[in-house]
Amino acid sequence: MSVLITTSIITAIGVFLAALLTLAERFLLDYGICKITINGDKIYQVRGGNHLLGSLQEQDIFIPSACGGRGSCGLCKVKVLEGGGPLLPTETPYLTKEEIENHTRLACQVKVRNDIEILIPEELFSIREYEAKVVNFKDLTYDIKLISLQLKGDETIDFVAGQYVQLKIPVYGNIKEEVYRAYSIASPESNKKQIDLIIRRVPKGIATTYIFDYLKKGDTIFFNGPYGDFYLRDSQREIIYIAGGSGLAPIKSMLHKMIEEGIDRKATFFFGCVSGRDLYFVEEMKSFKEKLPNFKFIPALSNPNPEDNWLGETGLITEVVDRHISSDGDYEAYLCGSPGMINASIKVLRSKGIPEELIFYDKF
Amino acid sequence: MKQTPELDRIQELMQPGVISKDGFLGNDTRNLTDILADDQRIVTNLGFTHQELANAMEELTEVGKKAFGNPVLVRGFLEVTVDSSKGKMASPFGGLFDKENVVVVNKKTGESIRWTTLNIHMIRDHGFYEGKGSYFRVEPEDLVRVLELYVG
Repeated sequence: MSVLITTSIITAIGVFLAALLTLAERFLLDYGICKITINGDKIYQVRGGNHLLGSLQEQDIFIPSACGGRGSCGLCKVKVLEGGGPLLPTETPYLTKEEIENHTRLACQVKVRNDIEILIPEELFSIREYEAKVVNFKDLTYDIKLISLQLKGDETIDFVAGQYVQLKIPVYGNIKEEVYRAYSIASPESNKKQIDLIIRRVPKGIATTYIFDYLKKGDTIFFNGPYGDFYLRDSQREIIYIAGGSGLAPIKSMLHKMIEEGIDRKATFFFGCVSGRDLYFVEEMKSFKEKLPNFKFIPALSNPNPEDNWLGETGLITEVVDRHISSDGDYEAYLCGSPGMINASIKVLRSKGIPEELIFYDKF
Repeated sequence: MKQTPELDRIQELMQPGVISKDGFLGNDTRNLTDILADDQRIVTNLGFTHQELANAMEELTEVGKKAFGNPVLVRGFLEVTVDSSKGKMASPFGGLFDKENVVVVNKKTGESIRWTTLNIHMIRDHGFYEGKGSYFRVEPEDLVRVLELYVG
């Protein structure tokens, strides 16, 4: 009995001390002003004690993060050269051996307790947060929506066709913290006041449940960006676009770019769907064809229903690509869709002799 | 059973609204360590290991994935449909996984079962089938029955 009482007392003291330490760190410890040196030449003064991700955000430097800084997505990687403290067990599952060796850390887990020196890609300095109003909300299929976001005030956004933004999903229902999700821009890069996103519902998804069930026309939403190096390369090669589902978004933006800049390269867009109910933007693609004489749109249904009365291509999109692409062409390819579709498409394209460095896709 | 601080942290990440909208625990009020221990007992009693069940799930998922959302018949009676989305799903145990929802219908019995790629990882590496009442809970008995898995 006395052993039990002693153990309980020791446990209670332990819990009390741990709580005290947490409170002390939050309210009493003052790390003062700390210096964050980025890429050796940019110096920011921040109040110490916060996580690096949030401290950078306060300086309008946005590191991509899908989980809002909870250490569950592993995306907010930065190189910490000095002052980051020891690697934490919450970071190791997300880092490879090479990343650990070259000082990569998760910005959401590193606390700024002293001066710190980090390396980040230069392009992250051009990323900003935008406040926008939902001005259009349209069902494209039973599970895909088009959302148009108009920037508030005098704000404008500069992006390259093919890039993506991260939508900030606010607290709603039982969701207690903000999260971010990446969506490709579907609109022309010339429209700097408004962006269109094409979003497919993910069953039980935090972000798409909010977008489909809570967000309304007229609402305000925040996003940051633009991100990514998925953009149309400047060359004379014939272009192969391959997409499925909401993956049509960046391809549409690239086609707008081709029209606006008079790019008349040969281009074929293979769009894979299961049945007729998954097809959308067919009329828009026809109108692109009128403006781009060397453009071909090839939608394909892998399992058309009788009521679809489908006379077009049938089969998996990879089979259709295989039928249309020759082995001796001078191609470059742009892919957007699920990882499974991308991997299978890469296999087909490689079998046609297209080198890996001419096959482009987003990894998010 | 007493739980380690590490499992406490993971159980926090499993709450609704942290990583996924509805979380990983459903209406289960047990400690994570008890959920893991109970499922370990169930799987052992069925005569399987977590790895064997995860392997069976993965095998069907891999076949279904190649059909890009179309149903595929496997072993003559299992209709497998894999719906993939862009993006990644974070595991409360760490790591990012493709967003893939798998539905398998046993055409002989009409029974069906669903899982995600994340379920396969959580079962194989951690013996976690999600809490009772969770939308993506994989009941080991259901899995063995619907897929008609046999010991040995």
